[in-house]
Amino acid sequence: MSEFVAGISVVCFAASYLVALACEASRLLFRSGIRGAAMVAFGAAGLVAHTLFLGWRAAHEPAVPLSSPFDWYLLAAWLLAGGYLWATVANPRTPVGLFLLPVVLGLIAAAEGSSRVPFPQSPATQAWGAVHGVFNLAASVAVAVGGTAGVMWLIQAGRLTRKRAVTPGLRLPSLEKLAGTIASTIPLAATTAAAGFASGLVLNAVNRRHGLLETVPWSDPVIIRLGGLVVWLVVAALVARGVRHRPGAARTTAWLAVASLACLTASILWGILVPSRHGPPRQGAAQQGEAPRPPATGETAVGGAS
Amino acid sequence: MTLAFAGGTHRTVPIDLREQLAFSAEQAADALRRFRDRFPGREVVLLSTCNRVELYAAGGDTAAAPTPGQIVSFLAECRGIDERILFPVLAGDRDEAVVRHLFSVASGLDSMVLGEPQILAQVKQAWALAQNSRTSGPLTGDLFQAALRTAKRVARETALGRERLSIPSLAVNDFARGVFERFDDKRVLVLGAGKMARETLRYLREAGVRDVVVLNRTPQRAATLAAELGGRAGRMDDLVGELAGADLVVSTTGASVPVVTLEAHRRAQPQRGGRPLVVLDLAVPRDFDPRIGDQPGVWLYAIDDLAAACESNRRSRQRQVPAAVAIVEEEARRFMGDLHHRSTAPVIEQLRAGWSETGDAELERLFRRLPHLDDAARAEIRQAFERYAAKLLHPPLKSLRSASHAGPPHGLLDALKRLFDLED
Repeated sequence: MSEFVAGISVVCFAASYLVALACEASRLLFRSGIRGAAMVAFGAAGLVAHTLFLGWRAAHEPAVPLSSPFDWYLLAAWLLAGGYLWATVANPRTPVGLFLLPVVLGLIAAAEGSSRVPFPQSPATQAWGAVHGVFNLAASVAVAVGGTAGVMWLIQAGRLTRKRAVTPGLRLPSLEKLAGTIASTIPLAATTAAAGFASGLVLNAVNRRHGLLETVPWSDPVIIRLGGLVVWLVVAALVARGVRHRPGAARTTAWLAVASLACLTASILWGILVPSRHGPPRQGAAQQGEAPRPPATGETAVGGAS
Repeated sequence: MTLAFAGGTHRTVPIDLREQLAFSAEQAADALRRFRDRFPGREVVLLSTCNRVELYAAGGDTAAAPTPGQIVSFLAECRGIDERILFPVLAGDRDEAVVRHLFSVASGLDSMVLGEPQILAQVKQAWALAQNSRTSGPLTGDLFQAALRTAKRVARETALGRERLSIPSLAVNDFARGVFERFDDKRVLVLGAGKMARETLRYLREAGVRDVVVLNRTPQRAATLAAELGGRAGRMDDLVGELAGADLVVSTTGASVPVVTLEAHRRAQPQRGGRPLVVLDLAVPRDFDPRIGDQPGVWLYAIDDLAAACESNRRSRQRQVPAAVAIVEEEARRFMGDLHHRSTAPVIEQLRAGWSETGDAELERLFRRLPHLDDAARAEIRQAFERYAAKLLHPPLKSLRSASHAGPPHGLLDALKRLFDLED
């Protein structure tokens, strides 16, 4: 059994999600009696493999479980994949996967482009590190859910504005439901992102004061991009709150949610492409069985969204 | 085994004649009984809806199904109509064409509204009535089961019948449901009370609407309608206030100028708290100033918008017809293949029985010559004989099955009869 679990790779669950996405896309082309079952089967198979993969890594990592950028992205993807499966079982006629699965696959791709080495930690700041990671994870998932709901809102509103009947295979949730999802995710994303950023600053300050680990300079790209993302999310939440009683408020918040998802995507790409002192080195020494080490200046490093 | 049908639909039979020709459930049961007495040994199913009356008959080897002409005469007699009036407007056919026709009917391909699903339930009812009247049998049973299976396949594999074609249904299910998730907490304002508004309200009630306000120029009329529709009557002079409280408006007044102007909407808008407003303006001329549709948070649908969407759906259904016809053709071919193959059963049975008899005789002779064989050895030898016979029979039976898909395999059957000296 353990050999089987150890043999599960990222490709296994990414391929399952990809097939589920292909099934979702085929709704637009033709009808099928077995597609719904196939979608759930592939989505569930992917989620099971994903869970076993993360569980295996958590059990066999030398440092705090799932604390590398690689694991962080895969955890975010796992949460969204679970959400996809729940939504598909609850509303089999709604093609949620068409919008959510690309985000899941994007996060898996980001994981593949990230280091598998856990973030450097010291026992004194471990709790702050966990808080930092969990809040950033919650913020990213909230932005992803809100953004996909925003895209669906705009497509549904476009159909209603053009006065077109429902396209077979593309029966989206109502504007009311989508607007409700967006309205709850925008403030959640802003709050958790701000908390994640603040806890990261505290973590860095504690490390700096006690000289525990190599600290991140305040002008480091990761601090700039995450700070910018937090500012955007807070502004978006304030704007959404300010216009909520105005006619057409739902359209404004839908655009804000989509823009937030675009900002998060840009932030992740920046994190992967631009060198930073935050986090472990790009090349996974842990993959080779080496112990984690602090990053060196100029190395390609990522912090995910953290 | 023969099949026949005769009947007429809205395409060829005028409505007054269709009314005379239609059968109630009791009349249909009586007609089935009369058919059984008139044509003993045959099976029959009678399908009578508001748009079609069709009688399907089947005959076995001893008694062939009546001809379509005989069926028309029978229908004329049952309904007391001169058959000379019916012959020019009723049509009929035999065998494979019957199968193809019934499969098309059950799939909604022959309906007045292409792809409408009610016909499937009506076909089921007709077959159930025949079963209860004991006029159906194995052949019509297989035929109607195959028809229901075909209809389900068409529904599952094509989008025929999926899109809505009626304006009230489309307005509620494709547009109002696109905006609102639930309706039990929404207020519906009805302006005027045309037939279309009542029909739309029926769909809204099904969606969960509970709070209905009716406005009419005449307060008495508004009160009557409100009682009828299960809502409350409002005052027309409080139109702005009622607009502010409404989530969905269904408007069908007969006014010659817009009842709700852009200015009235602008006065109501600040009191709405940013809630979206869906307007189904089903009146001609329109009750709502069309510029209201450009206001943020307003989803305005005039009757022409809804009619255009219905027309688009109608065209979409037409595009599904070739795929649906292909399924009907495939299923009809399969059914006829099975039917033809079934007609070979007596010959196959004779062939098997003959070989079995010969085999048994030879085995008995062998066992008498070899008395020392124990039971196990005898059983082994018997099984070997049976396997040998089955293997020898397999190629001709396979050829018969293949030939059945192309039509009745008369040539092969004759050859088998002559080669193996089988009885006719």
